[in-house]
Amino acid sequence: MATVRFDKVVKSYGNQLVVKEFNLEIKDQEFIVLVGPSGCGKSTTLRMVAGLEEITGGDLYIGDIRVNDMPPKDRDIAMVFQNYALYPHMNVYENMAFGLKLRKYSASEIDKRVKEAAAILSIEHLLDRKPRQLSGGQRQRVAIGRAIVREPKVFLMDEPLSNLDAKLRVQMRAELAKLHQRLKTTTIYVTHDQTEAMTMGDRIVVMKDGIVQQVASPEELYNRPANMFVAGFIGSPSMNFVACRMQEKGNETYLVNEEGFSFLLLSPEVAARLAPYKQKALVFGIRPEDISDSLSWVAEENYLAARVDVVENLGAETLIYFSLGKETLVGRFVGGPRYRVGETVKIALNPNRYYLFDQETELSLL
Amino acid sequence: MAGTKVSSRKLITTVLIYTALGIAMVWALLPIIWMVLSSLKTEANMFSMPPKFTFKPTFSTYAFMFTEGNFGGFLKNSMIAAFSSTAIALILGTLGGYALARGNYRRGKDIAFWIISTRMTPVAAAIVPLYIIFAKFHLIGTTFGLVFAYTTFNLPFALWMMMTFFAELPPDMEHAAMVDGATKFQAFYRIALPQVTPGLVATGILCLMFAWNDFAFASVFTSHENQTIPVAASLLVSQTGIAWGQAMATGTVIITPMLITGLAVRKYLVRGLSMGAVK
Repeated sequence: MATVRFDKVVKSYGNQLVVKEFNLEIKDQEFIVLVGPSGCGKSTTLRMVAGLEEITGGDLYIGDIRVNDMPPKDRDIAMVFQNYALYPHMNVYENMAFGLKLRKYSASEIDKRVKEAAAILSIEHLLDRKPRQLSGGQRQRVAIGRAIVREPKVFLMDEPLSNLDAKLRVQMRAELAKLHQRLKTTTIYVTHDQTEAMTMGDRIVVMKDGIVQQVASPEELYNRPANMFVAGFIGSPSMNFVACRMQEKGNETYLVNEEGFSFLLLSPEVAARLAPYKQKALVFGIRPEDISDSLSWVAEENYLAARVDVVENLGAETLIYFSLGKETLVGRFVGGPRYRVGETVKIALNPNRYYLFDQETELSLL
Repeated sequence: MAGTKVSSRKLITTVLIYTALGIAMVWALLPIIWMVLSSLKTEANMFSMPPKFTFKPTFSTYAFMFTEGNFGGFLKNSMIAAFSSTAIALILGTLGGYALARGNYRRGKDIAFWIISTRMTPVAAAIVPLYIIFAKFHLIGTTFGLVFAYTTFNLPFALWMMMTFFAELPPDMEHAAMVDGATKFQAFYRIALPQVTPGLVATGILCLMFAWNDFAFASVFTSHENQTIPVAASLLVSQTGIAWGQAMATGTVIITPMLITGLAVRKYLVRGLSMGAVK
């Protein structure tokens, strides 16, 4: 077990910058998730920790040792690949024993460790099989087994669940989380799926175009996103964004636009803090769960009249897409559908849970 | 009614397929059977019409060849030349092919094409320059010279073949091995190489066949001491006549080692030659 420290780590291919000044300190036993859209540099970052990609600049430490120039085999890490990368000519037992054999463990120690790991993952009955005789889920377990037998300092996981079907993915997600609670090995986990990130990570690193957007706990990412990208990436369906500007009516401050959008800022502190942005273009953000038709949140003059465009019934909840002039808003409602398409209904926006961004910099203003 | 129509059509198709297969088999096998049988006949029996299929086999021709005719020596020369050149081509070709498939070289594709283009040189065009080089280094009339000549053709071929086999292999497994504790060479040797065994065997067979069947190089670069079997066989055709019995026996001796090798590795051969055809 160990800490992992990135100090201004840079990766480029020729002129193309793939990872830009990556700084991060991963604590011992921490489960950290790198998340972002494809091509954001998260896998490259992981492969630099593994030693499969050269580091162009900066320093990378595992424990207290600088590992920039250390070959993968000496880093004492284990990695789980997206396509499992099992050795096809070896059976499950040999696959799991391979790393231990290379490290010259005794046969009895290898046997003990492989059987223990197999028991943890319930794959004891598969030890004699070749990888091609296994299902996707079983292969996944073997790949994880191959990583845990070694008891490495750090686990690296590169989208390990994305080749599984939806049901198995949810199941394995929970199992991986349980496994981490049991082994407590420092883990770096790469995914493009924000649900995986939110459910598994102690902390999440959101990346885009090789640049870290925010490093924070799941709660903080959800409640206090640093910018519009993070706000839109975390949460499903995505946060609603409405372009707007400030307008003062008497001693009250509103956010308004030409499409009929209007939102009263209740907190005088917020209004005061926004004073420098009076002339600037702003973006108002609100999550689907903070749109309601129960109307108890605001006074009647602050209701919005929105047209129902699409109704998606998900069983336990319903997603309703509204249009407000040219703006589109999606709301999440508990229970079955209650409106017909084409109807105009009154909705309220939660006055205490909203987000505000500078349109130019896309940074959060709250 | 419709059922019988379909099944009778099916029957005709089956009959046609088997007839065609039968013809192809006779076409391929008859000359070989004829040759093997003739080698066991006396010269008098060999040309009798109709041909005799039941006769008392005699090994006198073989006995003569291996005692008086020094065919044991020719066979040994052929084997040494073919197997050494194949071994060298496979070892260097596998290492080089792996390097080209995995290494990230500038203009790697051009390098690979240049290498395979040397294999496309007609043998006849290579003989003269090689002869001059060999003469300078006193390699004419040596088995080493012959091995060298075969390797100049087998190595680029083996390298190209192995490169394509390795290139088709996803690199993740070797990466997994390196993270597991393997050196780059161990990842190559213990993970990548076992997966291309069928390709390696197929490549080996093709290299072996090239060297084994070669006549042009052997006739120019060898002396009587290190003559190979194809050259020895050609000498049986002289101005005064053809030693038919010995020609037939020599032919049989030439094909036997290839036949045995082919049968021994046929499991790999089919997979190797069709590798990459189906993902």
